[in-house]
Amino acid sequence: MLFRQWRQTLGLATRDYFHEWQISVCFVLALAAVLGPMMVLFGLKFGIVGTMIDELRENPAKREIRPVGSGHYDRAWIEALAKRPDVAFVVPRVRSIAATLEVGSDRASRILTLEVIPSAKGDPLLPPGTAAPRGLREVVLSASAARKLQVAVGDGLEGSLVRRFQGRKERVQLPLTVVGVAPARSFGRDALFASVQLSEALEDFRDGHAVPALGWRGTPVGERRYTGFRLYARSIYDVAGLEAGFEKGGIEVRTQSADIETVQRMDRTLSAIYWSIALIGLAGFSLSLGASLWANVDRKRRDLSVLRLVGFRTGDIVWFPLVQSLYTAVLGWALAVAIYRAAAWGINLMLAPQLDAAQEVCRLLPEHYLVALGLTVGASVLAAVLAGLRAARVEPSEGLREV
Amino acid sequence: MGKERVQAETVPAERPIYELKEVVKTRASEGYSFRLRVPSLRISPGEKIALIGESGCGKSTLLDMLAFVLQPTSSEHFEFNAGGGEHDIARAWRRRRQNRLAALRRRHLGYVMQTGGLLPYLTVRENINLSRRILGMKDDGTVEALAKELGLHHHLEKRPADLSTGERQRVAIGRALAHRPSIVIADEPTASVDPFAAERIMALFMEMVEERNITVIVASHAWRHIKQLGLRRLAHHTRRSKDGQMAETVVSG
Repeated sequence: MLFRQWRQTLGLATRDYFHEWQISVCFVLALAAVLGPMMVLFGLKFGIVGTMIDELRENPAKREIRPVGSGHYDRAWIEALAKRPDVAFVVPRVRSIAATLEVGSDRASRILTLEVIPSAKGDPLLPPGTAAPRGLREVVLSASAARKLQVAVGDGLEGSLVRRFQGRKERVQLPLTVVGVAPARSFGRDALFASVQLSEALEDFRDGHAVPALGWRGTPVGERRYTGFRLYARSIYDVAGLEAGFEKGGIEVRTQSADIETVQRMDRTLSAIYWSIALIGLAGFSLSLGASLWANVDRKRRDLSVLRLVGFRTGDIVWFPLVQSLYTAVLGWALAVAIYRAAAWGINLMLAPQLDAAQEVCRLLPEHYLVALGLTVGASVLAAVLAGLRAARVEPSEGLREV
Repeated sequence: MGKERVQAETVPAERPIYELKEVVKTRASEGYSFRLRVPSLRISPGEKIALIGESGCGKSTLLDMLAFVLQPTSSEHFEFNAGGGEHDIARAWRRRRQNRLAALRRRHLGYVMQTGGLLPYLTVRENINLSRRILGMKDDGTVEALAKELGLHHHLEKRPADLSTGERQRVAIGRALAHRPSIVIADEPTASVDPFAAERIMALFMEMVEERNITVIVASHAWRHIKQLGLRRLAHHTRRSKDGQMAETVVSG
């Protein structure tokens, strides 16, 4: 009995809504006209700032902190750095003059002189899935080096290096295995990623020290000093803090903090602009939706009174405007989404030449659509319930004879 | 539904369908006040009651109170007996039992308004059937039979907007009768129709309620064509204060 009346109320509300389709279309258009542009606005803000921040986040170079010139750092100091929570990765660097290796392969006729980059597990330049070099035999090649040497993962290489020792020219050979290839976007030049241990061995050999593990003769190694380090901050937001710390310690560093600062400032500015527009828009949106639903219930008062006269319960009557406002909310939202999609498509197409393939200037995530739907439905239900309760509060006879 | 009719018929004659004592409705607006007072009113089952008077004398006010859509300002006693049950309307209002009153309207009452009262988005068939549908009554040909009797059988699939005023009033009569109520209240059902058609519609209406043994209360401003239909006229008189700012109508019967 209760359910039947409720269902009948829904049925009648639906019939009425589609019977008066011209008016319903107007309500839907009015709603979409406010919601659609707001979605475009948010899509732009989200797309522009999102693209810039993604670029910053995904590009490890933006997190790199490089010391300028050469210094003297000991192992303990580097290890202390590695323990800091704002440091994602740090390895010591040997003198750059000693950090090269001549490399040849069976397949390529050329011998390449490769820059040796000390690396380890967690190196941001080696994307997940690329093995990190370990020990004295494993290396990772940059994409261009691998191409020139015509080698792939698992292939062998022949390293070779020369020193002048005790007045004689001395050359040693170093068989190596390629355990990984770093993608071109990580590192553009010809390079060889080696373990810290191997880079130290190369420096030791050139300095005339012995490397017992490889059977190279020489004088014993004294206390080791590094001239630099490779350091990556945990996130782009940690760069400025680390930079300030180094400068305070008298170490001049080079970072991308200016770029990061620009994007962050832009994010704040755009957010402020967006939210001020959105707040005004939201106020307008709520008012327009509330006013139209309220007016609709007022217009329907006589029909609603007739339903009560026939014997519909007051509680069920509230459902009548509620159902209709839900139709308006959902249809208006759907139309707004269509408006947004069309606008976003146009904007992205227009700006496509200035952008990378995957970038979009106007972009929304699925959850943004849902939030828009939730807000619309929430505001509609609120307005309809308030108006419906008002309609239900008047005595049925009052509504009956209004013209 | 036949069962209900039998019960209505077996209610003893001394048990009125409506019994009112000192029921008052006061309305005031912009310095003008109006009061309707019913010192005593008894309506027996099957009676045909006419309430005659010019507009503004409080006919609609009384009808709305009898249809439980208007709350009396005060009432000493307001009883409604139908379907074998006694219902204290005064108490239901006091306790704000709106759904209880809605249930009584749904089950026992038919109401024909002066104009309109039809839902524009439903067809004639659906409008007539509305009072049955809300009670969950099965389609048993009642709607078609009524439509035929009312001369509406060609219009069943039309919407109210496509009908003449007279046809619309006949649809309203159909809806008021379709669920076999104990009582039908009609507030100037033919006032908006031309006099010739009005007379025919009224006669048809009376014939139909008589056939179905339904109690009927009709308000009209014209006694002329009501008289010959054999209705009992409720006595009422209206008094106005000298400054014209107060009017009181007293109805009894």
